[in-house]
Amino acid sequence: MLKYILQRLLYMIPVMFVISILIFVTIQLPPGDPISKMMENQRTQINVQFSEQDLEMMRARYGYGGPLHEQYIKWIGNILLHGDFGYSFYKREAAGKVIADLMPLTLVVSIGSFIFTWVVALPIGVLSAVRQYSIADHIFTFIGFIGLAIPNFLLALILLVLGLTMFQTSFTGLFSSGEIQQAPWSLAKVGDLLKHIWIPMIVIGMGGTAGLIRIMRANLLDELHKPYVEAARARGLSELRLLIKYPIRHAMNPFVSGFAYLLPSLVAGEAIVAIVMNLPTEGPVLLNALLNLDVFLGGGFLLILSLLTLVSTLLSDILLAWLDPRIRYGS
Amino acid sequence: MEKMSETLVEVKDLKIHFFTDEGVVRAVDGIDLDVKRGKTLALVGESGCGKSVACRSFLQIVHSPGRIVSGEILYTRKNENGQGEVVDIARLNPHGRRIRSIRGKEIAMIFQEPMTSLSPMYTVGNQITETIRLHTEATKQEAWQMAIDLLDKVDIPKPDRLVEEYPFRLSGGMRQRAMIAMALSCNPTMLIADEPTTALDVTTQANILDLMLDLQQQYHMTLLFITHDLGVVAEIADEVAVMYLGKIVEKSDVNTIFNEPKHPYTQALLRSIPKIAVTREELDPIKGMVPNPYRRPGGCPFHPRCAKAMAECRTVVPAVTQLNDNHTVQCLLYEDLVGEKAMEQAK
Ligand SMILES: Nc1ncnc2c1ncn2[C@@H]1O[C@H](COP(=O)(O)OP(=O)(O)O)[C@@H](O)[C@H]1O
Ligand SMILES: [Mg+2]
Repeated sequence: MLKYILQRLLYMIPVMFVISILIFVTIQLPPGDPISKMMENQRTQINVQFSEQDLEMMRARYGYGGPLHEQYIKWIGNILLHGDFGYSFYKREAAGKVIADLMPLTLVVSIGSFIFTWVVALPIGVLSAVRQYSIADHIFTFIGFIGLAIPNFLLALILLVLGLTMFQTSFTGLFSSGEIQQAPWSLAKVGDLLKHIWIPMIVIGMGGTAGLIRIMRANLLDELHKPYVEAARARGLSELRLLIKYPIRHAMNPFVSGFAYLLPSLVAGEAIVAIVMNLPTEGPVLLNALLNLDVFLGGGFLLILSLLTLVSTLLSDILLAWLDPRIRYGS
Repeated sequence: MEKMSETLVEVKDLKIHFFTDEGVVRAVDGIDLDVKRGKTLALVGESGCGKSVACRSFLQIVHSPGRIVSGEILYTRKNENGQGEVVDIARLNPHGRRIRSIRGKEIAMIFQEPMTSLSPMYTVGNQITETIRLHTEATKQEAWQMAIDLLDKVDIPKPDRLVEEYPFRLSGGMRQRAMIAMALSCNPTMLIADEPTTALDVTTQANILDLMLDLQQQYHMTLLFITHDLGVVAEIADEVAVMYLGKIVEKSDVNTIFNEPKHPYTQALLRSIPKIAVTREELDPIKGMVPNPYRRPGGCPFHPRCAKAMAECRTVVPAVTQLNDNHTVQCLLYEDLVGEKAMEQAK
């Protein structure tokens, strides 16, 4: 098992290498020298004057002017050796700091939505399968289809309107006020976060939950009449113990492999919702960075998100191997 | 001698129907059976005739949309005082405590598919001890040791190693042995074996059969053996019931069935086994196919394939004819015979 994990970690290195090249090429695709362009943008927007010297310094630091592969090596070298993601012209601070500031809350929201998805989808999926075609199954199927069909930003808007008209409160943001958001972490701040986070959690997790309910239901329906379930029933196991030990355990596999895709898709799905709900997470910042050709911030974000995806794939594979001896034995 | 032939399970007019969207399938359509204590009853018939459904009802594990519609399954169990107590299994709640205390403990079952009847997620030992711990007071360690002993009993080499293996690492024969070990774990009164050797290769088949016969002696078990293979029947059965489309068309002891088969279906089945037919020309597969369960023929269900069918067979459902104490047949050919006999006796 340990060998397997080490092996998988080693595989991640070449994969990350290829991904980083792709990201670099993508962010360099727009024509022209991003540094001059940025400076130009800023000059027109806010009257800051950069001297020709400043520009030269920047160019030298990030390798502009040289061939593309040299620029790439500079970029990735700075990140790997110095943790320097470059300068965000749009945020006007180090890109690494912007990312580091936004990542924790982003992860909290994403993982929160993920847990919400699992906690809700698992029991409902099981119930829908075990009581197939019952009233509960029909109701959850109906709600599930609505959840799948409504884009989550629309759901966010609906909830915002409902919150304002019915409860006279705003469901936006993750904290009650800007001051709390800026304040250092304390118990009160965590409490405030918990009070606000559940709405974005539901909104972001909604689509995934609906999808996962369908998956769980279908998997379990497949499992319920498998010969080993029947054999265990014939040994005298009670229905509940039977259900938990055999069909649910077997049906968990696709559930767990979904883990790998869920985290990145939550992060992606979160972007639009975060804009609508004004969440202090990376989604809107990443979008703006890309729109404003803020290459270092955009590239840095993409790099971190890719790494997260790889890590979550690895986690889900380890979980699968732990859960299913067939995978451990490689059969 | 009398004591030996005491009835363990008596099935009376059992009907099990499947209520599907396409219609009602009468998978078991009014069968009578006597399972004698300590004996082997073989239930024979082509696939799809309702053997599995019938034997699953003994444990109340017929799955929906199937349901026991009517009839009785009278099981004589011994209570704590050693006295006989008759339970109608057909009346028990399928999820209830009473049937669960019978399943695996008093009546155990092994299935056709050794490859899929064990869950690949748990070790062999885990699944054997599950039964033991469920029905006895044994501790985890005791149960584990019992599992090893059981595996040894079913001739599995290195049982202490195998008990920790996952089922998918074993061959089909080994898995079926493990299934048998599991079935024996609570020393059941009766063992139901639903085509336990069908999925295995010929050599393994023979070994498993020998093992089962041997264990039946050792454990004094009653055996209900389901098969479509008359060759197997000849080897193990005391009594034989021949099933066709949900009905038991003929029933007798094994010698009578092989030497004096009465029902045209039994006769056709016997002609279709290579071992019994002497020459190639005699080998004669049954004509036609088992009919679609939704479009069951009227009258005698076998008439479309029957070589001796008469005009009446299309419309008249044959009744059970008692040829003698231990031989019944369900065929119009013999109804007259009994009538004549009765007339003769009356004279
Ligand atoms: N889930 C089901 N739905 C509908 N009909 C079924 C179902 N299971 C079994 N049957 C019917 O019961 C009949 C008998 O099946 P089975 O007992 O498995 O046959 P056998 O074991 O003799 O091969 C089949 O012909 C089939 O039509
Ligand atoms: Mg069968």
